[in-house]
Parts: sequence; C-alpha cells; structure tokens
Amino acid sequence: MDAKDTHPEPHRERSAFALLAGVHLKQNWRRLEGVLLQSKLLSATVLLFIVGYCWLSFALFYRAMRFVGAFPGLGDLLVERMIFILFAFLFALLLISNLVISYSNLFRNRETNFLHCLPISPNAIFQWKFLESTVVASWAFLFLIAPLLVAYGLVEEVDWTFYPVTVFMVLMFVILPAIAGAWSAIGLARYMDRRFFQYTTLGLGVLALVALAFWLKPDVVTDDMLETRVMLVLDRLLKNTQFSQFAFLPSYWLASGVISWSEGATSATGFFMLVMLSYGLFWGRFTTVMAGSPLYEAASAVQSRGPVVSRWKWVQWLNRNKGNRTKAWTPRFLERFFGLLFWMPQDHRAVLVKDVRVFWRDTSQWGQSLLLFGLLAAYIVNLKNFSSKLNNPFWIHLISYMNLGACSLNLATLTTRFVFPQFSLEGKRLWIVGMAPIGLKKVIGIKYTLACLISMSITGILIFMSCHMLNMPWGQISYFTFVIAVMALTLNGLAMGLGVIYPNFKEDNPSKIVSGFGGTFCLVLSFLYIVGSIAILAIGSPWREQSVPWVVMLGWGSFMALSLGLGLIPYRIGIKRLRHMEI
Amino acid sequence: MIELKGLVKQFGDLIAVDGIDLVVPKGEFFAVLGPNAAGKTTTIKMMVGLIKPTHGSAVVAGYDIQQNPLKARERLAYVPDFPFLYEKLTPLEFMRFTGQLFKIDPDRVRTEGEQLAKRFHLETFLHKPIEGLSHGTRQRVAIASALLHDPEVFVIDEPMVGLDPQHARIVKDILKERSQEGMTVFLSTHQLSVAEEMADRIGIIHQGKLIAMGTSEELRRQSGQDGALEKSFLSLTTESESTANFS
Repeated sequence: MDAKDTHPEPHRERSAFALLAGVHLKQNWRRLEGVLLQSKLLSATVLLFIVGYCWLSFALFYRAMRFVGAFPGLGDLLVERMIFILFAFLFALLLISNLVISYSNLFRNRETNFLHCLPISPNAIFQWKFLESTVVASWAFLFLIAPLLVAYGLVEEVDWTFYPVTVFMVLMFVILPAIAGAWSAIGLARYMDRRFFQYTTLGLGVLALVALAFWLKPDVVTDDMLETRVMLVLDRLLKNTQFSQFAFLPSYWLASGVISWSEGATSATGFFMLVMLSYGLFWGRFTTVMAGSPLYEAASAVQSRGPVVSRWKWVQWLNRNKGNRTKAWTPRFLERFFGLLFWMPQDHRAVLVKDVRVFWRDTSQWGQSLLLFGLLAAYIVNLKNFSSKLNNPFWIHLISYMNLGACSLNLATLTTRFVFPQFSLEGKRLWIVGMAPIGLKKVIGIKYTLACLISMSITGILIFMSCHMLNMPWGQISYFTFVIAVMALTLNGLAMGLGVIYPNFKEDNPSKIVSGFGGTFCLVLSFLYIVGSIAILAIGSPWREQSVPWVVMLGWGSFMALSLGLGLIPYRIGIKRLRHMEI
Repeated sequence: MIELKGLVKQFGDLIAVDGIDLVVPKGEFFAVLGPNAAGKTTTIKMMVGLIKPTHGSAVVAGYDIQQNPLKARERLAYVPDFPFLYEKLTPLEFMRFTGQLFKIDPDRVRTEGEQLAKRFHLETFLHKPIEGLSHGTRQRVAIASALLHDPEVFVIDEPMVGLDPQHARIVKDILKERSQEGMTVFLSTHQLSVAEEMADRIGIIHQGKLIAMGTSEELRRQSGQDGALEKSFLSLTTESESTANFS
C-alpha cells in the first residue's frame, strides 16, 4: 500500500556517505585535539613509541635481510621466500582482523542501528561502515610492513620509484581481505549466533592444534647432509612454506609485484598490479552495490537474537527439555570446576566464575583473542624452521632468547589488552561488586591471580614447546619456564596496578579503555621491561661461553629486582589508591 | 498513520509478538503499555524497520517499511530509550547533521532548530560537546533532532527516562501539540500516568498479543475495575496470564 507522495521535496545536498565521513572526521579531529590538550605526556609517549618502534623494526628487518641475503648463492632465494611467507601470514591475519572488526562494526555498533532508522539506503550504510572497518583493520598491517619494505628497498638498492609503486600495490592489496572479511561477517551474522560461532571456533581450534602437532614433527638434518647436499636440505626445509607461493593468493601477487619491481622486471609488476586492480575493482564494486540487502537481512537476524539453530526441531526439543529440568538451579560446569578449589571462600570463587563467564560470553573479547592466538599459532608454525638438529651453542643460545622475547611480547599484549581494563570495567558494576563484603581489594587480588594463572599457562606451554623443539636440556627448559613465569607475575601486576591508578569509568568498551594514557603507558613500560630483562638475562646467561659466576649472579639478581619492583610497586600504589578512590 | 497487519516475530521457538493487528490513524496519540518482555520494543523495532517480521507487515505513513523503507523513514522519527548521539559533536552540529541526512533545506534547519532548542531549553547547551551533557539533556537533544524534519509518524520508547518534571512537561506538551497538528505518535511506556494523561487511545500488549485497546475509560470498562488505570492494567494482564496458563 503506497500513499500518494505529499511529503515536501527533499533538499538535495551532500550524499549520506559524505555526511557520515564529515561527521566522523570532525569527531576524530576533536578526539585528537582533546588528547593533545589534555595530556602532553601521553602525546609525547605515543610519538616516542611510534618513532622507536619504526626505528627498531627497520633496524631488525634491515640486519636480518642483510644477514640472510649474504648466505652464499642462496641469499636472494631465502630473502624472497621470507617475503612470501611474511605476506601470506599477514594476509591471513588481515582476513581475521577484517572479519572481527567488520562484524562488530556492522552488527554490534549503536551508530549502525541509529543509521538503520534513518532514510539512508543500506548500501550507503554498508559503504561507510566498510571503509571504516577497512581502515581500522588495516592500519596495523601498514604500520608493520612500512619499515620492512623500506629495509627491503635499501638492501636491494632500488631507485625511488619502488616506494610509490609499493604503496599503490599495498593499498590495492588491503581491499581484498577487507572485502572477504565483510562478506564473511555478514554471512556469520546471518547464519550463526554467538554460541554456534564459539563452538565452531573451538572445534576449528582443536582441528588446527591436531594439524599443527603433525606439522611440528621435526625434520632430521644431519651435519653430513648440511656439508654435502645443501640444496637438498634447503628444499626439504622450504617445502612446508610452499603454500605461500600459491598463485591464487593475493599475498603472492603483492610479494611478486614488490620483488619484481626491485629486480627491474617492471612488466611483471605491472601484471600483478593489474591482477590486484581487476580483483579489487570487480569485487569492490560488486560488494558496495550488492551488500546492502544482505546487510539488512543479517542486521535483522542479529537484532532478533533468536539463534538460527533454534529453528531446528531437535534443538527446540532439547531446549524444551532443558527448560523443564528441575535442576535449573543446580551448579553448572564452571561452578563445579571452581568448586574443586575447596580452600577458597565462596565469594572468591563467585568472582572467578563471573570473570570467566563474562570473558567467554563477550564475543568482541573473543575476536581480539582470535587475533592474538593467530599470531601465536604463526609463531609456533615458524618454530619448525629452527631445526631440532641445530648443535651450534651460539644459535641455540640466540634462538632461545628470541623465543623468550616473542613469548613475553605476546604476554605483554595479553596483559595490556585484557588485564589493564579489568578494574575500569568493574567500576561500572560497583553497586554490586564494590558494595559486597568481599571488598574491592580482594576482587583485584582474585582478578590478578586468575590473570596470572591463565597467562602463565599459555606462555608456559609455549616456551616449553619452543625449548623442547630446540632439544634443550631439562635444566635450560626449567630456567626459561621459570623466567616466563616471573615475567607473567610482573606484567600482570603492572597491568593490574596501572589499571587501578588510571581508571576510566566512562567507557564500556575495553579496547577504548586501553587506548587511553594508562593503557599506552602500560604497554610502553611492559615493552621496556621485556627489552631490559632479556638484555640482562642474555648478558648474565650461565650458558654463555666463558661466563663469569658473579656476572651470572648479578644478572639474575637484577632481573629479579626489576621484576619485583615493576610488578609490585604499581600494584601496591593501586591498592593504596583504592582506599581513597571516589567513583 | 500506522497500520500493523498480523505482525508476528518469532525468535527460535519463542514467539515474541503474536499476530498484532492495529491501526493508528493520522494525528492520534497512541500509547502502548505492557509488562517487561511483553513484546513492546520488538513491535517498535519491526515498525521502524530495525528487524524483519516473521509474518505480517507494518505500514508507516502509507509505506510498507519492508517494501519502501526509505520513503517510510523520510516520514518517520524514532527515539529509543537510550538514543545514540555522536559524543564529540555539539547539539547544534548534531541537529544540522540530522537535517542534512533528511535533506532539509538549511534555512529551514536553522529556523526549526532555533525554535526547538528554545522549546526544549537547549540554547545554553547548543555549543557544548554532547559527551559532557546529562542524560536528561541528551534525551532532549535526541527528541528535538527527531522532530526537526517534521515527521508524520513519531515513535518513542520510554520518553520520560532521565527527565526532570519541568522538562518532562515540556516534552509532553510538544508531543501533544504536534499530535493535534496531525503527527501520529506511538509511545511505549511503563508509566501508566503518562499514558493516561497523553494518549487518545491505549493498547496493552502482553505475551506478544494486543490484549486490550481503547481509551482509559474503555479499558476500565473492559477490566471491570474502577479508579486508577493501574488496577485495570493489572487486572487485564493477570487475567490474560491465567487464560494462557489454563489453555
């Protein structure tokens, strides 16, 4: 039934897309102004961190490429393969990142709901949100590869044209995972509810672990083979990385384009650029024109909250039976599990159960975890490349400390992302948790313990596996496992303490809490602590050639003192602040 | 006007809205009451096109919200209980943005905006960032912005949340005036006094069904209860519950 159109003729001005872009630019500019005006220290810290990161990563990439490139006869091949592998992994991470960010931006965003009620076509809403998600999901990738490409350019001694061409290719490349991520998010929202998604992810995770276990079987490379049949050994070592040269992977097109230009094969680069451009234009156009309608369908499905699986008869039967159970009030798995900690008071266990449940049920937190675990998985897969038959003590020594560095950096990301915002989030629920007889001090203590247990388990397993892969003796395995445990205690104490000292009770979104001054400060301090600790431990390592006992003792003592100070002092200050805190 | 025909929304095996038929003519002030989880907000979400009905249709200002969503939304305004506002914008910028989205002539945005800001006592807040405003002031900004394009249908969920008595009065007066000028108002509330005072007709939704409808007097007669509307409401919802349990 259509009424006669008596509404006044609308005034034609800017498109909805341009209006939204304008509003967001204004908002972001004011945010930036606010940060610059409010905290000069934060601005300086962030700037210093960015410059420091760029310089450090450039230096590392440059030195690594020079070193690998100097391998007689095979240097170029190895550098090339490194570029292919790196881009392939980054492509996978970009896919995950785009999927997670598109999902929350399209379906868990108040602005999107607001826009759906306005006379804006779903296509225009999608176009804006797509652009926003692409930028948010891809900036870290650009930040990561910029120093790498500069280092590669310098090592290969390319002319200036390499840099603008590379920038153009990278921009065309990031569109492709963005499109795939957006469509996957729409499909996911349309056909999966939160629980179905979680179980599927868990299932896939278990499968991935089984596959990794098979993948991680060490290759046997004897010293004799290394001396006489280098090409054969290299072939075997590189065979597991051949996937990165699959011709239909967009990362292959980007890597080939970059490498070809550096070698002066401009027509080959032109070919790969055209391949990316044609895919980008076709799918970009298709997506921005066609995604509106499925977006609305999916948004309606998400808003409806009814899980798709509940339409299946057997699920309906199961739910009906569940509802009829008289055991509805009996403790569930988590309560029973934490009930095993019989020595712990009931209120402490209740906080533990609540924290685990909230984390598990908050899919946006899960999304972030997926990214982190993706990085961890990539790291574990790469461990295979360090042959278990390495017998040069220098290399074993170097790799073991690099493993420790990688593990502790992952740990610092976890603690800053998940532990730092814990107190700020709890502040919102102060009417119940803060007013309870347990007291906030104990709540903080429980959260700290839980965070330590979880992060120690993850990084402990990781460091144990990496040491085991290097065939290190039990003494060294215990040493590194103990070090990572101390680091976990320190980094969690630092994150929890700074979280209490610099709370943000206005935000509900943990990622926004982390991006404030306290979160940035926590990340920078964690980073400095890791760099300092590894340097101290490496200098004072008992397995160095000609190690001196007093240097070993001094190194070990300094590490323990640094860890104790950085973990304990912010935590104590935070607890003291709690007494006088007004929320 | 609003026309809901056999509106059904099913979430898995739960029927949240169960065949609602309703016509709210042009210029009527219609209030919908109901206990928590009765299906009021789901009905509103289907009416404004946020979710698709499982069956049935919603026609707003002469346009089916699913068939002609853009035409319908040009004539519709929806203010949820916790409206979304851009935190870093000022109320003036937000109103101008809303005006541009609805493609209103800039001169009209200015004159209408000035009038609305004056009526809602927003003049002193016009240039302050929204992030620093109280909940009540934000609510007034949202309602004023929603009225800017002179909608034919105005849907509002719990309008009095966070408003002080003075500003609650202002909101009531403006909505009533607009309704008398021809704007159809669909209001969802838990405050029986607001519904009784403002509405031409009241509908009671319970367990997804429209169980009663009429003026407050008619509702009293239907329930057989004299006195406050609360008694009629409780009687009607309890009666409906026991009938459902019995069947």
